[in-house]
Amino acid sequence: MSVPQSLLSTLVSATEEVFDTMLALPLQARPPVTGPLETPANVVATVAFAGHRRGLVVVYSSLTAARQITSSMLGIPVHEVNGEVPDAMGEIANMVAGTFRNRLAAVEPSSDISVPTVTIGTDFSTLYSSAVFRSRCPFDMQGEPLSVELILTGDQVGGLK
Amino acid sequence: MRFLVVDDSSTMRRIIINTLNKLGYTECREAGNGREGLDALTANPVDIVITDWNMPEMSGVEFARAVRANDATKAVPILMVTTNAAEGDIVEALKAGVSNYVVKPFTPATIKEKIEAVLKA
Ligand SMILES: [Mg+2]
Repeated sequence: MSVPQSLLSTLVSATEEVFDTMLALPLQARPPVTGPLETPANVVATVAFAGHRRGLVVVYSSLTAARQITSSMLGIPVHEVNGEVPDAMGEIANMVAGTFRNRLAAVEPSSDISVPTVTIGTDFSTLYSSAVFRSRCPFDMQGEPLSVELILTGDQVGGLK
Repeated sequence: MRFLVVDDSSTMRRIIINTLNKLGYTECREAGNGREGLDALTANPVDIVITDWNMPEMSGVEFARAVRANDATKAVPILMVTTNAAEGDIVEALKAGVSNYVVKPFTPATIKEKIEAVLKA
């Protein structure tokens, strides 16, 4: 099952706000999709939320994209990026999920967000229980793929009022 | 002007300190959570504290309460920088003793404006 369009629009605009404000990296949004990533992600940053709604916001990117994002956040050249990627991508997920949560909290009871979890590697996949609604919003970041997925658990799925 | 930046994210500390440097504030110390922030502040007073909310060990709100409860530190302005921006969040932070509030993501202009506001208050 996919997620209501109103929630995805909120997630897309939250992601764009974070990238516009904190990074000099323009994002090009593509239509939301369901199903697996076209190219496996090397970096997966996850923030859970619970309260009025329960679920996850998951940011997927290539390692190249994650290094560009980190470089831009820290104001250092890409070749100087070393161990900073996990913390930087966790902060991106925190800000995207936080902005998404704040926008929802303006129109409905609020939810709380967790601290971020970041996985970096190759040849891994992330599985969630099938009893969820999920849709992924792909973006193009200067030719590098990045996407943000919204995963909602079963009983709190409804759209925005 | 001496700053103490308290955040568990090293990325966010770097972003805030880079922003402060660009604004001409170069005396910046840092701490990774409220507990460390409290230790840093009692050891060496500063003119402004900038703190995150969600941190392990001691949150920004607990940190603000502790700063206000100590005679030696209670007057220092505290600027909170956080993603928590629901109405209840802001009320809770202000009650804890936070002087002003910046919602992430932020621009350097917002940081500048809020620093000027807490210094004037
Ligand atoms: Mg934090």
